[in-house]
Amino acid sequence: MADVEVGVATEVPEPLELVRLCVDEVVIVKLRGDRELKGRLHAYDSHLNLVLGDVEETIYIVDDEDEDVESVRTIKKQSEMLFVRGDSVVLVSPTR
Amino acid sequence: MDSETQNPRSGMGDFIESIRDTTVMVKLYSGAVYYGELQNIDGYMNVSLNECREIRNGKVVRNWGEAFIRGNNVSYIGAGS
Repeated sequence: MADVEVGVATEVPEPLELVRLCVDEVVIVKLRGDRELKGRLHAYDSHLNLVLGDVEETIYIVDDEDEDVESVRTIKKQSEMLFVRGDSVVLVSPTR
Repeated sequence: MDSETQNPRSGMGDFIESIRDTTVMVKLYSGAVYYGELQNIDGYMNVSLNECREIRNGKVVRNWGEAFIRGNNVSYIGAGS
């Protein structure tokens, strides 16, 4: 009776569980500095260090010389394999 | 020892429990705002959202679907849509 269970496992999956479910799937990763990666997630860890294969990197460059006219240019780069340091990751989302 | 002393953050736990599965607003340091149904959150403030929408200047600029947001980017999380 006196024994109360401490630290009962939550039924709700942790946020990182979502990333685990993305392994071997194509994901979009939003990075700091207006960059995005789209590629197949091979591996990740708790820092969100990521290994991505067959990656397309998109860099968004905002030209706002005129204050009203804000145009966005993009530069795309392809990589066979990337190791991404977790601290630059903002968001990870599976592609539908 | 009651559960409150064992886990001083259990009050927060109650709050999170109360907003789980509801629509929340997540504001990042970058100024970006995301709305979505809160799946879960952990001690780093890592957040997973369902039906995540990215809002800029009051307009939905992107539908992410499911999304994981890394906690270090999060400024605050607001309950309610």
